[in-house]
Amino acid sequence: MIDEQIFRRFNHTIAACFVIYFLFPTEILGLHRSYFIIIFWLLVVAIETARLTKGIKILGMRDYEKERIASFVWFASGSCLLLGLYEMGFFPQSLVIATIVMAAYTDPVIGEATKEWGDKNGIICGLACSFIIYQFIVGNLIYSIIGSIVAVISERPKIKWFDDDLAMQIVPMIILVILNWLELLPDLVKDGVIIGGGI
Amino acid sequence: MSITKLYILALYLVAILCSILFIVKEHYNIAILLILGNAWPGYKLAESLMRKNED
Repeated sequence: MIDEQIFRRFNHTIAACFVIYFLFPTEILGLHRSYFIIIFWLLVVAIETARLTKGIKILGMRDYEKERIASFVWFASGSCLLLGLYEMGFFPQSLVIATIVMAAYTDPVIGEATKEWGDKNGIICGLACSFIIYQFIVGNLIYSIIGSIVAVISERPKIKWFDDDLAMQIVPMIILVILNWLELLPDLVKDGVIIGGGI
Repeated sequence: MSITKLYILALYLVAILCSILFIVKEHYNIAILLILGNAWPGYKLAESLMRKNED
């Protein structure tokens, strides 16, 4: 048997690859690349609709996900929303990249660390993981501190209609962008543009 | 080969390909994060598949 827990974790961490979007050319087959965000999201929703209505069993699903929206849909929705708002000019690129990678890694890290060493150490590992990722990509201490704290806080509430996979992307992003707009945070390096052009 | 195994193989390929593309474009920080973040669960998953084959 495949270890379903590890399978679930790998599916979560692989979601960091969503950031490959920034290497796409601006136009693909004559369409602006942003249309592919919508196409991808609709595909995910179609798969989820088929799963829920036809009762299709997908490996790695949790028991409680049988009759409610699965976490992969929440995660994909969060990433698509971030990418879409980036294309609309609301969110800076470096924060979008850092937040998607952070959400992909921090949730499994918290889960595994909590399982191994308890709740308190789970939070510490989550903070460390998200801080390192923000620091590695954004390269600004203040953004890294605020981003990591907000991300770990937004992971805590277990709400049926607002999954932590979505919350961990949307909440830190909104807080950081609002603080940036209010000029309470320093300017991002190169205005937050770290990937200049696509392939 | 089952659909699940093909899907897992696709996941490995996605992780490798994305990492290579970021290296080629000289975005080493993102490439390192993609490699490091997926290495542990990827290794554990491969290990669990191997264990199944041994059984």
